[in-house]
Amino acid sequence: MVSQDFQGTDMTDEEQATSAEQGGAQAAPAAAAVDSAAASQTPVDSAAAAHEAAENAGIENMATEQDKQLKRTGRMTLYVHRYMRNPGAVFGLVLLIVLTFFSIFGKYLTHWGYADLDYMALGAPPSAQHFLGTTPGGSDLYAMICRGLGRSLSIGIISSIGNTIIAAIVGTAIAYFRGWFEKVGMWLLDMLLVVPSFLLIAMMVRGASGTSSWLWLVFGLTVFGWIGYARVLRTLTLSLRELEYVRAAQFMGVGSFRIIIRHLIPNLGSVLIINTVLGVVSAVNSETSLSFLGLGIKAPDTSLGTLLTDGQSVILTQPWVLVFPAIVLILLTFSMQLIGDGMRDAIDPYSRSGGKAE
Amino acid sequence: MIKYIIKRIVNYIVMLFVAVSMTYFLASAFMSPRSMYMMRHPVPPEASIDSQLTAANINDKTPIIQRYFTWLKNIFTQWNWGLAPDQSPVGPAIASRAASSVQLVTLATILGILLGVSIGVYTAIRQYQWQDRVLNSVATFLLVIPAAVMALLVVLAAIQINTASGSRIFYVTGLHSYQGSNPWLYLVDTLQHLILPTISMTIPGAVGYHLTQRTYLLDTINADYVRTARAKGLTLNKAIRRHALRTSLIPTAQSVAFSIASVFTGAVISESIYAVNGLGKYFVTAITMNDINGSVAIAAFSGVCTLAGALLADLFSVWLDPRIKLS
Repeated sequence: MVSQDFQGTDMTDEEQATSAEQGGAQAAPAAAAVDSAAASQTPVDSAAAAHEAAENAGIENMATEQDKQLKRTGRMTLYVHRYMRNPGAVFGLVLLIVLTFFSIFGKYLTHWGYADLDYMALGAPPSAQHFLGTTPGGSDLYAMICRGLGRSLSIGIISSIGNTIIAAIVGTAIAYFRGWFEKVGMWLLDMLLVVPSFLLIAMMVRGASGTSSWLWLVFGLTVFGWIGYARVLRTLTLSLRELEYVRAAQFMGVGSFRIIIRHLIPNLGSVLIINTVLGVVSAVNSETSLSFLGLGIKAPDTSLGTLLTDGQSVILTQPWVLVFPAIVLILLTFSMQLIGDGMRDAIDPYSRSGGKAE
Repeated sequence: MIKYIIKRIVNYIVMLFVAVSMTYFLASAFMSPRSMYMMRHPVPPEASIDSQLTAANINDKTPIIQRYFTWLKNIFTQWNWGLAPDQSPVGPAIASRAASSVQLVTLATILGILLGVSIGVYTAIRQYQWQDRVLNSVATFLLVIPAAVMALLVVLAAIQINTASGSRIFYVTGLHSYQGSNPWLYLVDTLQHLILPTISMTIPGAVGYHLTQRTYLLDTINADYVRTARAKGLTLNKAIRRHALRTSLIPTAQSVAFSIASVFTGAVISESIYAVNGLGKYFVTAITMNDINGSVAIAAFSGVCTLAGALLADLFSVWLDPRIKLS
């Protein structure tokens, strides 16, 4: 317990750190690697993943053999092929595309806007006039879900990308500079994890007005969300910083920042991409929780979390106000999780971070 | 070892001090207790607002540094965490709510750990068999459901059961409603209240522990020392229980220790849905009421829990893994 003395505030961080450490040893022989891929698992369809990993190993061997005669399969093509062979992942992707289209173009299917009130139909059940019914205030639930889904999606994606960028730079920089910089950096990261970020985000977003609250929420989720992730990336960089070409670059006099951007971060590419996708799930979860408590998105703007609050108050008499946003929310997070798992198998089949709890 | 622990605790105290001070400045910058008075009808005269805010040490006309040092002095000399904008003391309010939170969360946490670890072990032993696949798919699905959705769906189901059976089996709000003195009825009443929040908090916990424990056990199950144990003639079950499971429990034990912090803050959603007047609910009220001192006190409290969990995680792993030495 010397290096990993304080692994984060919650199970996720701690778990990620462990899996990340294991991910460091990826240059294993093919046979052992297939074994390890078998040991890792997609929670969705584990047997298929193992089977696939075995096949992938075969394909890659063949690719090197046939290199001389045939055109090489490009890396992206390979990723796409592997991804498309995973039915769960394809399903997730289709689901996400449908949801995205719905959030962008769904509003043209109804003439009700999300802010319009229909005083003739307060709390009306689903009908031809209002596809998914109305809230007790008379808002069209379909239009509100459209708007809320768009909000949740954009908040999740923007803040997840922001988190990845900050965490990648800070995490690798802390590991790269070593010495007192690393000590101070780690101490600061641990210190920032002491107070749960949920509290701090709530404090910041609380003061924002209705229309700008979603920007504050993105800001809060980005500013406080990267810390545990940076610890994980730092652990991964510990082995990268010893690589020959990093040292060679150092001796050539390449600047530190350049080494970080050009040599260290690209090496973490697959981890970064996968965690960005899975980060959307946790960002959407945080957004929903905050909005549900009235500490996030506020009227007149709407999000799936605020719709849940509306639904809770009429759970007995108008259950549709609760059920439809809940279904959309589950579809959103589930599709993201499926895509993330599928991408992990496709990009990084030997990764041992399977079954990770996000 | 004692020396190490003392060193660690000193470090944690410094960390806590910096983090809480940072929270204090952040809260003072973003929250405006004055607006709570301005929203009243009729708006009180400015002099009276100022005097009330000054009494609670949250007047934005006083320089922030001065407020900060007054606040620090009160804590260190009298253990006084300050006043809410309505002049009620913050410390006792938190102390009285901690009990409800503990009551609400304890059972769910324990059940979550037991269920999750046992399902994790069960599926790891049956890797890629149908039980493993089914349970894993279910777990992945449950894992991504936001806490609020989970709790609300549980409530919805309970209400359906209540209407279908025509009697009140589940209570959806509060922790107690029985007023008499019969201890048996009191217990039944408490259980009727506790069961729904417990279900909605056990599921995410159990699912998380299931997936992680499964991965950890699969990592160790193929280790050399487990194979050696098998080669020496131990049965598969015994080899797993005595050799593989023990090592694989270390990371789980760590996350259990860390979950102590979330025991107090993680129940925010459940508390607001089930109308339990605990710490989570207090935190939400403090934020909406612009209660700077209250929010900072909650942050400090959960900070203490986090660090206690971190220390406990270290001690746990030393206890479970003889290879680890504290130094």
